[in-house]
Amino acid sequence: MKYVYRKHAIKWFFLLPCLGYLILMGIFPLAWSLSLSFTRWLGTIMEKPEWTGLTNFRDILFKDPRFWSTLWFTVRFVFLAVVIQLGIGLGMAYLLHNNFRGRNFFRVLFLIPMACPPIAVAFLWKMMLHPDIGVINSAFQMIGLAKVKWTTSVVVAPFTIVMVDVWEWTPFMFLALLAAFQALPLEIYDAAAVDGASNFQIFRRITIPLITPVIVTIVLIRVIDAFKLFELVFGITSAGPANATESLSFYVYLTGIKWFDLGKGAAMSWIFLLIVLGISLLLLSRFRKNI
Amino acid sequence: MCKKLIYVSLVVFCLLAPMALSASSAEVNFKGRTLSILVNDTHVQVVDAWKPLWERETGGKINVILVPYMGLSDKMWIEFRTKSGTFDTAAIPSTWLGDVAGGGHVVELGPLLEKYGYPDWDDILPAIKVITKWAGKTVAFPYDGDNHMTYYRKDALEVPEYQQKFRQKYNYDYHMPPKDWDEVRDIAEFFNGWDWDKDGEIEYGVAFIAQQKTQAQWEILNLIAQYATKAGPSSNTTSNIFFDADTMEPLCNTPGWIEAFTRIQELTKFAPPGLLGYGYAEFRFAYVSGLAALGFDWGDVGIMEQYPDEYGSKVKGKLGYGPLPGAKKYWDHVNKKWVEKEHQVNFLNFGGWVWIIPKATKNVDMAYHWVTYITNPDRSLLDACGIHGYTGVNPFRKSHFDPAVIGLWERGGWDPDAVKGYQKAIVDILTDPYAVTDLRIPGCEKYYDALDTRLAGVLAGTTTPEKACADLYDDWVRITDEYGKESQKRYYRESLGLK
Repeated sequence: MKYVYRKHAIKWFFLLPCLGYLILMGIFPLAWSLSLSFTRWLGTIMEKPEWTGLTNFRDILFKDPRFWSTLWFTVRFVFLAVVIQLGIGLGMAYLLHNNFRGRNFFRVLFLIPMACPPIAVAFLWKMMLHPDIGVINSAFQMIGLAKVKWTTSVVVAPFTIVMVDVWEWTPFMFLALLAAFQALPLEIYDAAAVDGASNFQIFRRITIPLITPVIVTIVLIRVIDAFKLFELVFGITSAGPANATESLSFYVYLTGIKWFDLGKGAAMSWIFLLIVLGISLLLLSRFRKNI
Repeated sequence: MCKKLIYVSLVVFCLLAPMALSASSAEVNFKGRTLSILVNDTHVQVVDAWKPLWERETGGKINVILVPYMGLSDKMWIEFRTKSGTFDTAAIPSTWLGDVAGGGHVVELGPLLEKYGYPDWDDILPAIKVITKWAGKTVAFPYDGDNHMTYYRKDALEVPEYQQKFRQKYNYDYHMPPKDWDEVRDIAEFFNGWDWDKDGEIEYGVAFIAQQKTQAQWEILNLIAQYATKAGPSSNTTSNIFFDADTMEPLCNTPGWIEAFTRIQELTKFAPPGLLGYGYAEFRFAYVSGLAALGFDWGDVGIMEQYPDEYGSKVKGKLGYGPLPGAKKYWDHVNKKWVEKEHQVNFLNFGGWVWIIPKATKNVDMAYHWVTYITNPDRSLLDACGIHGYTGVNPFRKSHFDPAVIGLWERGGWDPDAVKGYQKAIVDILTDPYAVTDLRIPGCEKYYDALDTRLAGVLAGTTTPEKACADLYDDWVRITDEYGKESQKRYYRESLGLK
């Protein structure tokens, strides 16, 4: 009896620091922000929060059109960015999977964007895309093309954000898919070749099904990450023009941090979390059917 | 005998000088202590300029916490809420004082002013003194005088040939600077899209800050000040543009505001293609690079104009300065009618940057010393006149305009005539007792974000001025309700100087 007790005590002794850390840094802030979301706390002028129940959630969901417009932009951004990144990443991985001269050089080259800090990427692109003095428009002019309002047109600016995100995160897709390609068993390909399958058939019927688990994983990771779109909006467009590129996380930042409306900011964060969780579960369940 | 006297004097001087020096540095001794300063990119040059001297003279160390403008409030509020003593003093926009001082986060300076004294308080311009107070108490140090003014290209507007062509087209002679927004529109249209300075490049009619979240709201307020009120002692009907001071009803859905939105929307047609990407930095660089005939900004453009090397100025000596353009009518919101009258209203956009000391700091004495050190008449003049380059500091003391110090402005790169025009434009506005004061109530950032957002829609052409103003009205009503209508009314009336 004493031995069992001691065995358990030792286990708990080793577990406790981790648990403590988890509770302190993970569970407690979550619980705290959840409790905050049921309060009114204008942090700039109110010393303490006031309990208001579900008022924040009601106001956000039913009285705040800006919440819905930022959510709509974010969803469109995520869909476009992730689909394009997957497409290009797949193509690049397929190309660089084959042996050719200089393959390693290209592999390293393609990884550079991902290694850059997002905020640096944002400011770099902001300068390059400047409608008047940006290097891209200057190059366009030199070859006789018209200047593009990359960041100042409500139509073009959302695509600009997608474009920069694609530039930055396609290497992630590429890297993961390249690893998946290289892990594929060659015997199956040999057998398919013997059976007379074309390259497209091999790709469609063998390669894609085999790498689907990897695709599911990286798409999920990217969807969750892309939903948190912030730095590019902050650095390139400041959510403009006319809020055309305001993402949900940027709006949460404005509410909770910039205006210090802590109650509403917390409620918005929780809604945000539930949306991302919901979409992730939906994606997972749909993909699971195909795995 | 004379020689002897000189020798004795020299010996006495040599003996006393070090004592005098040590006495001055013995006044304060911050050795072993560090002062943390929160400052944004625009003002870091001031800190960099005085930091070595201050450290040498006081023995203290300075830790600079540098953040971009957009990150300034985040950093500040987190400190105010956590009271962790991250910084000991910060330079912030005076428009934030509604929340900052209204929320009780900063040290009241009255007792400190009495205890330590202040370098020539009477030298501060009256309009600037106003922005350092909240609820009748001094809560911030003056540091910068801010108001928008008109900039125009003399090499465009003063050319007789162009003046004649303008007269033929519009049937009148324009003023320099333009007298009202009708003239601004016509001048902008006239000088738009052709190479009027013959540098081989296309120029445009007008430029201003238009990018979202980069202070564009202060551009529309230049027009609103003309069309939504008339100048006079602060009251509900005069020099008041934001709310009905009796009911706290937003005035932003009145015809005066709609007129202003309509006019600024029209001006975008005569602006450079990248206008909507012009934050304050982009605008200033574009304007001093010679891109537009007219511009509206704080005094910063004038400073950057003087530096061809540092800021790529191609307009040194080519700029004229003046007050904001007026209007031919204004909306009387009480009697709900247009009043046809040529008039002009000055507006204290932004009010100016001020230094504050957070309550949580343990280094109040150091912070106080630092701020009074850099803002004393002599040092602040060097920051304002251009000797330290572009510092974000505009004149805020009477002595900055003293003809006796014109030589320092010249050392700052100014032409003597140009500096007189520049100073006149600023001092006329800052000494105007009827100048409209900026919004200074709790939630100011929220109100202004809403204005900025609606303005962005108008500038981008995605919404009409009428719709933008109606939406803005709803936004402002909601924000006022969030903060409490009665308390907001009280604060607003107080900010206007009303009982």
